Amino acid sequence: MKSVIVLVLSMAFFATAADAQKIFSTRNGKISFSAPKDEDVKAVNNEVVSRIADNGQITFSMVIKSFRFKFAEMQEHFNDQYLESSKFPRADFKGNIVNLSDVNFSKDGVYKVTVKGDLTMHGVTKNLTVPGTITISGGKPSVEAQFTALMKDFNVSASSVTDRVTVDIACQYQ
Amino acid sequence: MKNWVKVVLVIGVIGLLAAAGLVYYVYNKPHRDVSKEQGLQLSAQNLYDAFRTNEAQANKLYLDKAIELSGEVADLTTNQDGKTVVNFKTSDPLFVINCTFRDNPGDLKPGQIITFKGICTGYIPDANVVINEGVLVKK
Repeated sequence: MKSVIVLVLSMAFFATAADAQKIFSTRNGKISFSAPKDEDVKAVNNEVVSRIADNGQITFSMVIKSFRFKFAEMQEHFNDQYLESSKFPRADFKGNIVNLSDVNFSKDGVYKVTVKGDLTMHGVTKNLTVPGTITISGGKPSVEAQFTALMKDFNVSASSVTDRVTVDIACQYQ
Repeated sequence: MKNWVKVVLVIGVIGLLAAAGLVYYVYNKPHRDVSKEQGLQLSAQNLYDAFRTNEAQANKLYLDKAIELSGEVADLTTNQDGKTVVNFKTSDPLFVINCTFRDNPGDLKPGQIITFKGICTGYIPDANVVINEGVLVKK
């Protein structure tokens, strides 16, 4: 009888262990963007909340007002006219690693990934496929990726400044 | 010189000066200095409750405002660009007020109660309220 209890308990334990999914997170990830034709148009957000799980789910949430420009006047225009950050305070991305089988979260290394998901910004949701890199170092992941966002895709009328920006993601997780 | 040439020249010069002035203004307008602003006095818990119960209303009240926040330090970190970040406790163990300091606040320890001023940039559900450009007021 005793051995049956031990067996049941140990089965329950292993079932839980197998289900437990590892989630890494940060409240201070970094996302920046720049206009390819005007080097003054660039901004950094160091307060990106991001989570990455070993089941392939990845999310980024950021407040638009946390993007900091070198020039205060540009920051004001960006918030008031282009991204309308009082009306649309946040940008969110929710996606999945397409080639999850190529990534081993418990083994240090550099893994090329493709992430597919939805980016919601300025009231518009758009499906994106973005190539990037996951680096596992000391058991902790960091993510790097770059993609181009077209202003018209997100209903942003900034044509006097730029029609596109290059977005850079660099997040270190705990 | 003919009169109309003079007029065109004067208009041209005025135009150039205006353009130069505009460029100068765009490139030299200073960033907000929160240390010179009067902040809305709140506790970390007040701010969390406001966003949790009515996000739209809290956005109206606090977004872009200077906040003078008091709270208990949950933990300290450094962001990826080397700035000090202090997370303040709320009643929800998974939710904090995340504050990035403009000026290094010096030695702080978890459990300490401090007051600082910063700009509230927004709310991220299930995670934190974001405040940046922080300067220490009292510890």
